[in-house]
Amino acid sequence: MDVWSSLMDGFATALTPMNLLFAVIGVLLGTAVGVLPGLGPAMTVALLLPVTAALEPTSAFIMFAGIYYGGMFGGSTTSILLNTPGESSSVVTAIEGNKMAKAGRAAQALATAAIGSFIAGTIGTALLAVFAPIVVQFAVSLGAPSYFAIMILALLAVTAVLGSSRLRGFASLALGLAIGLVGIDSVTGQRRLTFGQPLLVDGLDIVVVAVAIFAVGEALWVAAHLRRTPLHVIPVGRPWMGKKDWSRSWKPWLRGTAFGFPFGALPAGGAEIPTFLSYVTEKRLTKHPEEFGKGAIEGVAGPEAANNAAAAGTLTPMLALGLPTNATAAVMLAAFTSYGIQPGPQLFSSQGPLVWALIASLFIGNFLLLLINLPLAPVWAKLLQLPRPYLYAGILFFATLGAYSVNLQAFDLVILLVLGALGFMMRRFGLPVLPLILGVILGPRIEGQLRKTLQLSAGDPAGLFSEPIAIVVYIIVALILAWPLIFKLIRRNRPAKKPLLPANSGAADYSD
Amino acid sequence: MSSLATGLKGRAELGVSLLLGVVGILVFLDANGLVTPYSQSDPVGPKTVPFIVSGLLIVCAVLLAINVLRGGKGEAEGGEDVDLAHPADWKTVLPLAGAFILNVLLIDWAGWVISGTILFWGSVLALGSRRYIRDGLISIALSLLTFYGFYLGLGIALPAGLLEGIL
Amino acid sequence: MTIVVGYVPTPEGEAALTQAIAEAKKSNDTLLVINSSKGDALVDNRYAQEPDIQSIEERLADQGIQHIIKQPVRGHDAAAEVLDAADENDAQLIVIGLRRRSPVGKLIMGSVSQRILLEADCPVLAVKAD
Repeated sequence: MDVWSSLMDGFATALTPMNLLFAVIGVLLGTAVGVLPGLGPAMTVALLLPVTAALEPTSAFIMFAGIYYGGMFGGSTTSILLNTPGESSSVVTAIEGNKMAKAGRAAQALATAAIGSFIAGTIGTALLAVFAPIVVQFAVSLGAPSYFAIMILALLAVTAVLGSSRLRGFASLALGLAIGLVGIDSVTGQRRLTFGQPLLVDGLDIVVVAVAIFAVGEALWVAAHLRRTPLHVIPVGRPWMGKKDWSRSWKPWLRGTAFGFPFGALPAGGAEIPTFLSYVTEKRLTKHPEEFGKGAIEGVAGPEAANNAAAAGTLTPMLALGLPTNATAAVMLAAFTSYGIQPGPQLFSSQGPLVWALIASLFIGNFLLLLINLPLAPVWAKLLQLPRPYLYAGILFFATLGAYSVNLQAFDLVILLVLGALGFMMRRFGLPVLPLILGVILGPRIEGQLRKTLQLSAGDPAGLFSEPIAIVVYIIVALILAWPLIFKLIRRNRPAKKPLLPANSGAADYSD
Repeated sequence: MSSLATGLKGRAELGVSLLLGVVGILVFLDANGLVTPYSQSDPVGPKTVPFIVSGLLIVCAVLLAINVLRGGKGEAEGGEDVDLAHPADWKTVLPLAGAFILNVLLIDWAGWVISGTILFWGSVLALGSRRYIRDGLISIALSLLTFYGFYLGLGIALPAGLLEGIL
Repeated sequence: MTIVVGYVPTPEGEAALTQAIAEAKKSNDTLLVINSSKGDALVDNRYAQEPDIQSIEERLADQGIQHIIKQPVRGHDAAAEVLDAADENDAQLIVIGLRRRSPVGKLIMGSVSQRILLEADCPVLAVKAD
């Protein structure tokens, strides 16, 4: 079909020496930041946005793709060797992975994680290549009312479902929407929230906002709470697996992929739920139940595969609809905007070569990661001994440099500091940062769709419900909002039944 | 001591609610000040969304205040390198912010090479490194490298400031 | 009187500790075990973890040696911590472990043991791992 030839063209673009070089840089950088404490793929892409402005968009996105997948690899390495998972998606990997490492099976744990990630990432990317165009075909037939509804759904889903406190999620979202309002209103040319400050007229640069929240806020927050007692990293040689490890790993890999991709593709799926589900499933299906809790290889293989498949899944709504559902995807979407590329269903037609080169580079990046990571694991572990002063001073240095170089205005640095302080405060008081970033990015687009919708209906609010898809989406939105209430009723009626996911129960507790 | 500390902590989170409220009011006042004739082509106008946002902010502010007063507490974010067992270490954060502010004040006048050096050197110092000379050399090298890297590689001319003509 | 031993969880560190125990037994002195870290990185494999320290604790108690185990994390390097401890306690002996190093390695890394040897005010006993 069409997908095949487009993908081949994508490979042709991605395999040029220059782009291949960017892919290699991306995966190396991604793995490094995944391993390094306090740095993550979202922060790294944000820090690179200004530097990559001079590059071809295709090359930049090929590098970002490498960073995105590389971060996952690096994250699993630290959670296995250190037992301090940096990201919520690798918490589950650490349960069995660290036990395996302590029992002297670090090499096998790393191997099953790396190979599982490769397989899940490859299958996930293939699914992305197949499904994204289908979603696009469906999406181009939608009008403004449906878009408006879908974007509302994405915002609310991320705000209400992820994180432990819905109220704090909404507070963060509202702040993000307010930041998104700053600047000239595109329809009427009115100045909003500029307070007579001419430098605010163009709005707050999304690059500056992303760098402030992800880099400055994080660096200050970590600096305030540096871990005082040093940890031990478990020494490891070159990862490898025996025959028995292979036969115990391949089924969990495939099952993990099956859990990960759909959840990643959902507006609020994320990687936590599928990794957890995969762990529970493997624990139930294993022939070695006695090993669980002591270092069972299935408990590493499944969740790691789920994690990476979810990462691929997340790119489906991002590329097909312009809806990011995790931090890295959000920053990548911001990158599209800063290149002047309009994200959304039209992306596949307007930027076809770029999108397919990006997808092809995901396949390539995955392969490179396997190639690079298996022999280099001991080297990555060494990175953990990097002195912190250089690490966090470096983040601040490059954050400043990046934010300044966008417009060469010291004023942007003031904004950077103010929003960095905001990011610090949000981390201190448990306000999740993802809803804020989504609010900044999606807010203006939601407003645009709302105004388009009501323009078509001449101001009649009924216009919002003029498409069947919109109505379906609103029902889902209502269900998400009412979920804690329903949840409570179910619990009251059947007090004996335990909640399926302990991670979600916090949401219900905080909401009242 | 501990009751005072917890009391202060509770009050500190009320600051978040205060911030939300203030931003909400600001957004409301700003939107209210816009003058727009009704137009057929744009029935929603530039005010509607700000009003909704300000409403959301104020509702969140109130609910958060209630939540905090009833004993609710935001969960501070953990991480690989984060140890929440001890309170925020202002002796590290404030000098860091100081180095940052110094850079903002100096960048246009003294130029990136000087201000960037101060920023990195100051930050490393604030974070506890005590190898003054080696850190200083690294800072200078880093600022010079980025200055020329941006100029030659990306075509972005960072300000040379005081060193104009030398660089 | 006090004997100070610089301990790291490596064969050299173990050798130093064993030697220090023997010395402390001989002279019936208090043994001060120093295991420090600059604490400037997330990971420091030279900083002993809880189980390790516990087993040393037990070992010393079993042998009936008066002892103090300290794990300072104050941003100073290991040489400074050992020298400080020796100064403060008026130590009569410092015991350290030596690592075999190539000439190039010495040139690049400098050496904790070298600093202790040069700057200590009391005798220093340096042992190698077998």
